[in-house]
Amino acid sequence: MSVLEYLANGLVFSSIIVLSSIGLSLVYSIANFANFAHGDTMTVGAYTALVTFGFVGTLGAEVLGLPLGFFLALVVGVAVAAAVAVVTHKVVYEPLDVGSIGLLITSIGVAFVYRAIVQLGFGTEFIEFQIPLLRPIEALLPFGIRMTLHDVAILASTAVLVAGLHALLQYTDLGRKMRATADNPSLARVSGIRTDRIEIWTWVIGAGLAGAGGVFLGLYNNISPRMGFNILLVVFAAVILGGIGSVYGAMAGGFLIGMINQLTPILPRLGQEIPFVPESFGIPIGIEYANAIAFLIMVAVLLVRPSGIAGEEAT
Amino acid sequence: MVSDDIGPNRRDVLKASGAAGLAGLAGLAGCSTTDDAATDTPTEESGGGGGGGGDEETSADDGGDGDDGETGPYAIGMVDSLTGSLSAFGQRNQRGKDLALADVNDVGIGGRDLEIVVEDSESQSQSGVSAAQKLVNQDGVPFVIGAVGSGVSLAIYESVIQGTDVVQLSQNSTSPDLTNFPGLLRMSPTGSTQSTALARIIEEDGYDSVALAWVNNDYGQGLAETFREEWGGEIAYDQPHDQGQSSYSSTVSGMANSGADAWLFITYQPEFTSMAQEAYSNGYEAQFYGADSVQGSDVLGNTPEGSLDGMKVVVPSAAVDQDNYQNFASEFESEYGETPSSWSAFAYDCVVTAALSIATADEFTGAALQETVRDVTRPEGEEVFTFEEAMEVLGDDGSPSDIDYQGVSGPIDFDENGDPIGFLQVLTVENHEYVSSGTIEG
Repeated sequence: MSVLEYLANGLVFSSIIVLSSIGLSLVYSIANFANFAHGDTMTVGAYTALVTFGFVGTLGAEVLGLPLGFFLALVVGVAVAAAVAVVTHKVVYEPLDVGSIGLLITSIGVAFVYRAIVQLGFGTEFIEFQIPLLRPIEALLPFGIRMTLHDVAILASTAVLVAGLHALLQYTDLGRKMRATADNPSLARVSGIRTDRIEIWTWVIGAGLAGAGGVFLGLYNNISPRMGFNILLVVFAAVILGGIGSVYGAMAGGFLIGMINQLTPILPRLGQEIPFVPESFGIPIGIEYANAIAFLIMVAVLLVRPSGIAGEEAT
Repeated sequence: MVSDDIGPNRRDVLKASGAAGLAGLAGLAGCSTTDDAATDTPTEESGGGGGGGGDEETSADDGGDGDDGETGPYAIGMVDSLTGSLSAFGQRNQRGKDLALADVNDVGIGGRDLEIVVEDSESQSQSGVSAAQKLVNQDGVPFVIGAVGSGVSLAIYESVIQGTDVVQLSQNSTSPDLTNFPGLLRMSPTGSTQSTALARIIEEDGYDSVALAWVNNDYGQGLAETFREEWGGEIAYDQPHDQGQSSYSSTVSGMANSGADAWLFITYQPEFTSMAQEAYSNGYEAQFYGADSVQGSDVLGNTPEGSLDGMKVVVPSAAVDQDNYQNFASEFESEYGETPSSWSAFAYDCVVTAALSIATADEFTGAALQETVRDVTRPEGEEVFTFEEAMEVLGDDGSPSDIDYQGVSGPIDFDENGDPIGFLQVLTVENHEYVSSGTIEG
């Protein structure tokens, strides 16, 4: 069995983590608090896509094993996740004058509200997109890689979204204003940037990406009211590892954490997989500690670089 | 400036948490000394600090009941998985409970109704313990039905029930570990019978190597341990996994790497569904086996047609041949539009057993119920099949040994460890449906 298969698994899982980490980090950079409702924003996106997909269903041709209706559902999921986050921002976070710890605790409450509403509407049981599961792509099997077209779709969509965000941040007016606001809100304001509008845009983009991450997580695994909350800790690890507040750090952190999570089964038989190491070498650790290992590596990186991989750099 | 501000804050937080920790330790110490006193010198129980508190509470409750003129309902508690990964079980429990409550209150217990205060465990130990604490300390119930997950039931027993007189009767926990706690009763037979049956079935099917994936909690550990003892062949893969993970691809590829052709899953429905999907989309083929907790219509509904065909699952079975089960099933069907699962039957029997123990007890206290709860279901007495029948046999002043309640889930007959005897049904997936392929006795 090849390392390639684990790497492939890792890539797909990383994509989902990357999408959610970016949003979390973006929101932190501008709103200045760790948003615990971020995971449940993913859940909101996933359920919205589920409902939309129920209506549009098998509309249109198939792309990468997914009907076009799915991509439409993805867009609606992203839009609703963004809208819900903006409304929450306007109604809850903005009027509150409690500092970042107060906002953090508030966001936990918001997370419970999101989840409760989802549970009221859909019950507590898990559910699937009504898309037939695919078998692995034949052409990749000789290399020991078992990926379905759906996995490729997740990877490709993530790449498009990340590239789009990069272009937005680097080459557009809005992107420059967002970076300026993240860097120094007061200075941005006195130089004429309407920071409150920028803040709303940040929520739209951050929550939208979370919504997309939620939809893909639903496609990759299944949809349940706890899906977003369950992955939130890992996403936090990714964001902190990358340097909280930094978008590119979140990408790197998300990628690393996702990979580590999926590569854990290799640890007990490292010697057989890696050249130049004695055959019998291995770290005897079970896969149930995958998240613990991710956090250990996070701590190790923070000891060397206290502000994370890309900390201190302006996004 | 900023760091200056943070310094004292942090220190304050540390101080506060340290103080809280000390308080917690002190609290624990208090508890354990009370426990010791209670176990070492049972006669002095009421003299002990904590024990005294408990007694006061129950007597206060008695007073309250007296003031009500003995007309108010008997209130008992139930900790159930209304949400969380075991919520499918929780929902079935609630249906069984509601039917049982209706049947009990049609007859009444000496002219009084039975009332059940339901609290949510969220399928987690912590929330389960707080739910039980609320029931025992705030509502003052002497009888707690709970919980679904074995880990939750044990946590509740160890941190709330043990050392008090309160009766705990778990509706659905099947971990073999619970056998070691005779004070903790349960309605569902121990899962070790499942492990034994699974080992036998896999061997009969001609496999000598098996890959075993188990959920990392009391339930999974307990069943996996019994399976290792009972299984004669090789275990090529033996790894736990945590609940509620976003990806189980490592578990599935690990099982595939092991080379074993028989895969045994001791986990829950959402987790197993993820794994089955993962196996399908990775193109792995194996003969699947599973404990009762991986079986359910959600699993079939969310896995591709044909991907589970041939899978064998053992499930605790209700007493399907008995009249009272058939009545229960038809009542259940007319109410909810589907056939009951054994999990509903267990919850039903929990409520009826609780009602019978109240009916035969001298007074409505934990100590009195402890005396009666086991005897109402054990042989010697006249076999009764419904609550109504039992109340007729009991008359005005029947004793618990006059009746032997035969539940809709089976004969119950709690043994000295608080475990019932039970039947197991072997289900095979054919054309993406569960088909019964025989029974095994536990």
